[in-house]
Amino acid sequence: MRRIMMSVVDGKGFDLILVGAALIFLFLFSGLPLLYNILMSFQEVDMFSLGKFFRPFVGLDNYRALLSQPAFWPIMWNTIVFVTCSIGGQFLVGFSLALFFNLNFVGSTFIRGLFLVSWVMPGLVVGAIWNWILAGDFGVLNYFLENLGIIDEKIFWRSDINYSLWAVIITNIWLGTAFNMILLSVGLAGIPEDVYEAAELDGANAIQRLWTITLPMMRSTIGAVVSLGLIFTLQQFDLFAAITSGGPANSSNVAQYWAWELSFRQYDFAKGAAISTLMIFFVMFAAIVYVRSTKHEVRG
Amino acid sequence: MTSNRIQYTLLGIAVIFALVYLFPLYWMYVTALKSGTEIFAIPPTFVPNEPNWGVFGYVWEVRGMGKFLWNSLVIATGTMIITAGLGTGCAYVLARYRNVWIDVALFLILMLQVLPASLMITPLFVGFSQIGLLNTPRFAVILAVSAKAMPFFVILVRATFMAVPGELEEAALVDGNSRVGAFVSIVLPLAKNGVLVSAILIFMQAFGEFVYSKSIIQDVNLQPASVGLNAFMGPNTIEWNNIMAYATIYVTPILAAFVLLQQRIVAGLTSGALK
Repeated sequence: MRRIMMSVVDGKGFDLILVGAALIFLFLFSGLPLLYNILMSFQEVDMFSLGKFFRPFVGLDNYRALLSQPAFWPIMWNTIVFVTCSIGGQFLVGFSLALFFNLNFVGSTFIRGLFLVSWVMPGLVVGAIWNWILAGDFGVLNYFLENLGIIDEKIFWRSDINYSLWAVIITNIWLGTAFNMILLSVGLAGIPEDVYEAAELDGANAIQRLWTITLPMMRSTIGAVVSLGLIFTLQQFDLFAAITSGGPANSSNVAQYWAWELSFRQYDFAKGAAISTLMIFFVMFAAIVYVRSTKHEVRG
Repeated sequence: MTSNRIQYTLLGIAVIFALVYLFPLYWMYVTALKSGTEIFAIPPTFVPNEPNWGVFGYVWEVRGMGKFLWNSLVIATGTMIITAGLGTGCAYVLARYRNVWIDVALFLILMLQVLPASLMITPLFVGFSQIGLLNTPRFAVILAVSAKAMPFFVILVRATFMAVPGELEEAALVDGNSRVGAFVSIVLPLAKNGVLVSAILIFMQAFGEFVYSKSIIQDVNLQPASVGLNAFMGPNTIEWNNIMAYATIYVTPILAAFVLLQQRIVAGLTSGALK
């Protein structure tokens, strides 16, 4: 007993307790639910069997039922569009801003930091503000676009099935740009100045320097930013709840919102679990790509 | 001289970028202060004609915001305590050693970090309902949000601990401190800033949490402000000035904390997030 106490205060036991407490907590409230989710996706789960521990197994029926729903492929396509366009937009705007702020002028660090407010705001608040900006008749975005001559008539962002997904994408680009920019700024700051000077002496112009120095040297940062973007975009839920609720007619529905809808609107927990399982494997794949792209950085 | 002029031109452009980017925030504040008819003016007014400052008190009263914000505060504080309490020690050990097991643990933690909350809520809800945790819904939400936030916290704080020189701890051990003593009196004080900033970030995230609260907490009296805001925004709402006033009350404390701590937060993120 004394030896155990000693180890806790002054040996390996101390490390084990510190790591163990956190890992056990994570296992109970993250790992176990993950496994339970996979189990449920092969079971029949309805309101009556919800409280039971032993439920009938139905094999792949939940997955089959999911695939046979007419909404399945459109929603998957929406997910792909949402993810690609969000990441693309966030990256392009974020990278341009990072390049600009990398010019290191007076106050650049402070102003760059201000952009991050979008990232600390509650998702629901961001959604509420953009919900109002994107309003059809009285939205300020339509007003700007009309005055700039970009559109001739008002776009009903939230209720037109051709635009509803774009309403969420625009908001998500706004939300994620700042975080992209900060991470890319770190990468840019890590490129030694003399490489540029040498290239300039050799007569390389700004665009050549961007293509032959900046982008190749930023490869691992860009890899990390894009895979983090993928992970964060697939987590985006609040904006859908605040702006379109996946509608109209599923035109702005994506996998992660659909999974929640199936479970908590239609109480079809088995199908919700099935789509969650599919998406979780996909997200984990992205995470592995992310870990690989930052491997040497993880090792310090 | 010319170099100065370039500096100020760049600064001017930067300010314009920031103003454009932060316009949605401005629009929230301005809309909140407009009257119910002015918000529908065409063309829209960019400075309210007669700022209606009473709107905040009105919305606070009518929507029962005190209750909502209190619940958000309870959830955020609980999450911060559990996450920092369990995560700090874990991050310390993960920073102290270099071996295969540490890599495995880090990899597992990263994997858990990426699980989307809206996907995890299905098994969490069913599991919680089976073990009776739904009877204490706020506590259930705190547990779920902590599990979601902990990996991020551990990774950020681990970077802080890595920056503490190992020699200091060794010196303390040579001087006769126990491991616990060296951790509490030497390592922890040196890493205090990083731990605090990360804990504040977790607090802010939990303060705005939505999907777990929305799914788990059915009782309106126990719901946080995010769920209250969602309920306020019906599909055909026209009360945009009141909704924006609600959003203003909800988000302003977070923005104030962010502006005060901005430099530390950005520094913490940039050192930790990519590593």
